[in-house]
Formats: sequence, C-alpha cells, structure tokens
Amino acid sequence: MMSRLLSPNVLLGVAPIALILALWQGLVSFGLAPAVLLPPPGFVFSRLLQQLVTLTFQQEIAATLIRLFAGFAIAVVLGVSIGIAAAANPAINAVVRPIVRVLAPLPKVALYPALLLLLGFGHGSKVTLVAADALFPILLSTYYGASTVEQKLIWSAMAAGTPRYEILFKVVLPSAMPSILTGCRIGLVISCIVVFLAEMITSTDGLGHALVTAARTFQAVDMFVPLITISLLGLILNGLLGAVRSYLLRGFPEA
Amino acid sequence: MKARQNGRGSNDALDGCENDDPSGRLLAKVVPLNVRAREAKDRMTVVPARSSEWMRPVNSQEPASAIIEIDRVSQVFQTSARKDHLALSDISLTIEEGAFVSILGPSGCGKSTLLYIVGGFVRPTSGMAKIRGHTITGPGPDRGPVFQEFALFPWKTVLGNVMYGPRQQGVRTAEAEAQSRALIEMVGLKGFENFYPKELSGGMKQRVALARTLAYQPEVLLMDEPFGALDAHTRTRLQNDLLNIWERDRKTVLFVTHSVDEAVFLSDKVVMMSKSPGRIRQVIDIDLPRPRRRNELLLDPRYQKYVVDIERMFDESDEAGPFS
Amino acid sequence: MISSAVLTRRAAPVLACVGLLAVWQVASLALKNDSFPTAIEAIRAIPDILGDRESLTNILASLRRMAMGFGVAVLVSIPLGLLMGRSRGIAAFFNPLLMVIYPVPKAALMPIIMLWLGVGDATKTLVIFLGVSLPVIYHSFEGAKAVEEKMLWSGAAMGLSSAKRLVRIVLPVALPEILTGCRTGLVLALITMITSEMIARQSGAGNILFNALDMGQYDTVFAMIIIVGTMGICLDAIFESVRARLVRWSEPQFDMPLSFS
Repeated sequence: MMSRLLSPNVLLGVAPIALILALWQGLVSFGLAPAVLLPPPGFVFSRLLQQLVTLTFQQEIAATLIRLFAGFAIAVVLGVSIGIAAAANPAINAVVRPIVRVLAPLPKVALYPALLLLLGFGHGSKVTLVAADALFPILLSTYYGASTVEQKLIWSAMAAGTPRYEILFKVVLPSAMPSILTGCRIGLVISCIVVFLAEMITSTDGLGHALVTAARTFQAVDMFVPLITISLLGLILNGLLGAVRSYLLRGFPEA
Repeated sequence: MKARQNGRGSNDALDGCENDDPSGRLLAKVVPLNVRAREAKDRMTVVPARSSEWMRPVNSQEPASAIIEIDRVSQVFQTSARKDHLALSDISLTIEEGAFVSILGPSGCGKSTLLYIVGGFVRPTSGMAKIRGHTITGPGPDRGPVFQEFALFPWKTVLGNVMYGPRQQGVRTAEAEAQSRALIEMVGLKGFENFYPKELSGGMKQRVALARTLAYQPEVLLMDEPFGALDAHTRTRLQNDLLNIWERDRKTVLFVTHSVDEAVFLSDKVVMMSKSPGRIRQVIDIDLPRPRRRNELLLDPRYQKYVVDIERMFDESDEAGPFS
Repeated sequence: MISSAVLTRRAAPVLACVGLLAVWQVASLALKNDSFPTAIEAIRAIPDILGDRESLTNILASLRRMAMGFGVAVLVSIPLGLLMGRSRGIAAFFNPLLMVIYPVPKAALMPIIMLWLGVGDATKTLVIFLGVSLPVIYHSFEGAKAVEEKMLWSGAAMGLSSAKRLVRIVLPVALPEILTGCRTGLVLALITMITSEMIARQSGAGNILFNALDMGQYDTVFAMIIIVGTMGICLDAIFESVRARLVRWSEPQFDMPLSFS
C-alpha cells in the first residue's frame, strides 16, 4: 500500500527500523529483558536462516502458501466477476448491493467455527475463510472502478462497432483495472493475515501452527521466526503484485 | 460529393428553423423558414438552390443530399425528483452529405445532447434522428465521435487506440496496422506510435482521438467541442489541420462549439441555438471560399461580418432575458 | 415517490438478512447435519447466551477492550497520519516502518505480547490498538496529502499558524478520508478482538465461541456467530450514519449512479 511513496528518503526511512532493532538489542544486552522472553535480534535472524533451509519448515511455508493462494484466487475471481456484474446490470446490482452491505462489515473470522463444523479441519475451511475475507475489498473496489468508467470511453468503443456484451471486457474491465488491483493488494495482505490466524486457531501444519507450537513450549525464538516469515512473505507478495500492477497499468496516469 | 468543390451546396435551406426573429434579416443568407425535414422537399422551390440541382435524387423520395435528419427531437432530463429540465425543444434539422455544420450556442443549450442523439448515445424523449433514412437507435461505425475529453483508452498505445476501430470491424491486424500508421502520420504524430496517451500533450491526444475515429471510416464525424480543452495556440493549429484533413475527402462533419470564430472559420453552415429550452434560433450559411486560409480569412470583411453579426444576435437575446 | 425509494433502500439490507437466514435454514434442513443447526434453532439459542450473566459480562468485557483499543488508536493515528501527509520528512521516516508492519498479522502477536504482559486486558487492548492504527494512519495520510496547496496558502494569507492550519484546514478537508479509515478500523477492531480471544481462549466473545465448539453445543456456536455478526453490522451502520452526518458536504463514495447498463 505504501511502497510507492518511499524511494527518495530511504536513509530516513531505514532509521526507525534500525532504531527499533538497536532498542531490541539494547534491552537484551543491558539485561533489561531476559533472553527467554526477548531473544536478541541476531539470534532470531540466524535461527530464521537456519530454519529456512530445513525441509519441515519449508513444508509449513508450502502449506500456508497453498491455502493463501487458493483463497486469494477464489476471492479475485468471485470479487471481480460479481463487482463487474453488479456495475453492469441493475437487476444484479439490486440483489448484490444489500447483501454486500450486510456481509462486508461482518467479522468473517467469527464464521470460522461454523466453517470448521461444515468443512472440517483441513484445507477447505481455511481456504474458505481466506476467500471470504479477501472477497469484499476486491468486490467493492471492482464495483467502484467499473461503475465510474468514463462514459465517453464506452461511447467511443460503441461507435467503433463494439457490441454491448464485449464492452464489458474491452472497456469496463481494463478501465477498472487500477481500482481492481488496489482491491487485490488489500485482499492479498488480508489473505496473508487471515491464513496465519486460521492456522493459529486450529491447524496441524502451516506457519501459524508453528507459532502456536512454539508458544506452548515457551520457545520465544521459534515464535518470532514464523511471524517474521509471514511478514516477509507478505512483503514479497506485495512487491510482486506491485510489479504486476505497474506492468498492467503502464498506460494509466497515476500508476 | 466532388460536385461540392465548385458549387458549395450550403444554401439548400433544408433546415428546420424555429425562430422567426426579425433580426434574421441582418444576414443575407439567413433562411428563416419554419421547415421540417419531411416537408422540406415540398418547399424546395421556395429557395434558390444550386446544389439541389446537382444532388437531385434519382430513385429516392428523400433528397439525396440529406444524410442526417433530425425530426422534432425533444429531450427532457430529470434533474431532481420534482424538476424536469427541457434540454432540447422540438428540434428539426437536416444535414447534407459532405457539409461542415457547426452547432453554436451558449453552454447549457443542449448542443452536445443533440450531437449525442445523432451519435445514438442518448435516446431522445420524443422525435427521432435518422441517418440515410434509417432511424438511429444506437451508436454505429457510420458516425464517429470526437470528444472534448479525448476519451482515449489509457491502456492502449497511440497505435493500439487507432487500430481499435479497424480491428473491431474485422480488418486483419497487419492491414489495420498499416492503415493506422498512415493515419497517425496524417495527423502529424509519426514517431509517437508506441507512446501511451498519458505521455502526450492535450493537442496530441486530440489528434490521436481524431485518427482513432477516422480509422473506422465513419460517414459522419461528430465533434463535441473537440478543441474546447486546448490552449488558444494549439486550438488554431488543430483547426487548420482539421480543415486540411477535411478538404481531402469532405466527410460530413457535425461540429459542436461555443466559439463564434471557430464556427465561422470551419463551417459551411452555422446552427445557432438558444438555451432554456434549447431551440434552434437561426441557421446561417457561411458563404466563404474554400480552401480557407486563416491569415486571409481573418482580414476578409465577409468573415468579420459573419462573426460580428452572430455575436450581436447572441447579445440581443441576452438582453431580452431568458424568456426571449 | 421519494419516500418509497428511501423505504426500499432502508428495507433492502433487512431483506438481505432475512434472505440469508432463509438460505441458511434451507441449507441446514437439506444437509441434515448434526453439527449444522437450522437458523431458527440458532436464533432460539440467542436469549440463553444474552440471559446468562457470565456470557454477558464476557461479551461486555470484549466490547470494552475493543472501545479502548479503537479509541486510543484513533487518537494517536489521526494526528500522526495528518502530520505524515503534510510533511515529507515525517512521511519518509514512518512509511517504511509501517510498510514492514503492515502485513504482520496483529492478532498473531498475541502469544509474544502475552509473554511480556500476561493474558490480561492490556495484551488484548494493545493488539486491538495495533490492528486499528494502520488503516487510520494510512487514510489520514492519504487525506492530508490530497489537501490542495492553495487552500493552505489562503489559510496562511489569513494569518493562520501552521498548527492551526493543520486543525482548521487539513483536518476538515481530510475528514471524509479519515472517516473511511476509521470505518475500516472499526471492523478490524471487532475482528482483532474476536481473533485474539480465539487465540488466547481465556475470556470474551471469541472464547465463548470456541468453548461451545469444543463442548459440541453447536446451536450456541451459531447463535454466537449471529450475535457477533449483528455487532459488526450494527457498529458499521451506526458509524456510517455518524459519518454521513459529519461529512454531508462530501460525495458519497459508493453511491455512484451506474454509468453502464
């Protein structure tokens, strides 16, 4: 969300992060915090590197990523198609709008127990939860983008002989792309967060599960590792989406 | 159509003119007839018309020279729950093939709406518009719009934008590309084929928009204040270039503007509109030689007289208040 | 005609609720699954929960923590966001930090913070605070950044100090955007609240949910889902009406007329 804003003053931006790391190190070094509760940063990061090469940890990451991508993909497909349909068709709009109004502010994580009961403790319930949470930002921004397409773009395409149903794919969808991608960006971060939480609440594998296991045995270091991993994953995926975005929106003024 | 080069058929007075304002006499060529398109051919004898002889229909009931007929068109917009705004009131107008016709009027007189109705983008509340005798029910590639806002596809390059129409018409890619490159060169943008619209200035964008529309070879160009968003310098350059391009094939042009100079400089015929409700107050033939050169025309007393007379007419209606 | 249109608009979400409950009812009857009670059974279980003293104090405690976390987050985040929006230096200082924190699941910090602060209110409130801050900062930042320079020049010409310009000009102009952030923050506060209680499993609404799940009281599970869902919808609706009143001058964002049909 904020990556576009920071290229010039990199040094200034690194300062607070360095400061926090220094403070963290300081707290441990001066004995203000016991290493059991707050392991020193060097220790945490070396542990992270050490873990990243082990097969079991890679499997945890893979499990998390599969759920994340499955849920996110479902959310993108549903969100974009429902959003476009609602913007294009007044009848669909009349049905979708009130349902979205009710479901969007609903805390989806509260549905998780119900999903567990209905879909079991495996992938299904977690993927569904991720999809449900990522759906609404994508749907809403798609709808917003599609319903604010400049009328004269549509007219220009129609005058050039584009049939009505093709307008949807040739004009509305590409015009709404900046807005759709903004929604996807929010949806992706939400997916990262939700998949991790779902794994923490109940799971047998995945990064969230790794954190809970470490917490049960009070292994502070191993609690930090999955947290940092999921955050790094979030940053990497966000960066990848940013690259996709700047490629897809190369013609748009504010991209 | 080539006939037009010696006998400019701009005085066939097929135009509906709602106004019998006596000030119409100020201009020699004004035809204050309350004529509707359908009745036009019966009244043709009233007006000495050179080109009607050229264009005498062979097998059609309609006059062959008429390409667009607007027949008693009214447009009502609902501005709020209670108020209805009469944007256009009972407009009738005929546009001849190959003519450059400007619709001139103050903002809010419904001139753009009239253009959108001809484009098929807006459906009139009552009345109808026809092209070659067929009622207009929607947009089509026979009528190409050029908007003030350019309305270029931001996700396509200059070439992609221009190629859109031909591709949509089923022209093969290679052929469409060749045609489009030629058009881009014609509007003076050679070398900018792979630029995105955001990288171009306003004037260049409007050139692309013109090329994009010309690319699918519409019979009628519908220009909606195309130079309204440009600075004065770019504006005059584009006016000149538009005239040069127009001289080549003399497409029918319907040109909406609020600039008197622009209308007189470009047009064969100026349709003056008044507002609230939008009506045609006068149709004025601009009898100036073509091809027109800006530097010659500005010194031409006939040009100056047209401009001054039209401006005076607008001023008079302002003084008379909104109910005139 | 106007009143009937307004009536339809008001009634539509209620109709949607009824429709969703009906779908639920039909689905549960069709599935005949023991662990999937019908909507009517779930609704019948609601009075039991709300009548139970312990559950009620649990839910109220949840709400209190949520209000605390949300309130403090808003008070801190809005000024920070506005300052970031008006000063390049401050923005450059905080942006990378926020970007790094952004994808961290805030509720996942629970176990770590619990190590330091224990399982009490402080931990949960802190987590809610962290969850709410980011969207509020982000939207305040965007809102303040979009304030037109010329508006501030006029303010300066009228003799307003820079601090006063921030309060008198930047704040009101950015208000619609800020409130959008607060609305997201409010929903996030509720989500973080439930999640943190699901993870810590010690008290609160999230805890009731999972206790019922563990004990096989499925109607209670679904009843709690209805209660939490209703809280979300009501909080959002209340906030939306407050927002609409505060920024009456601003264009509503999602009530666009359809440009294509």
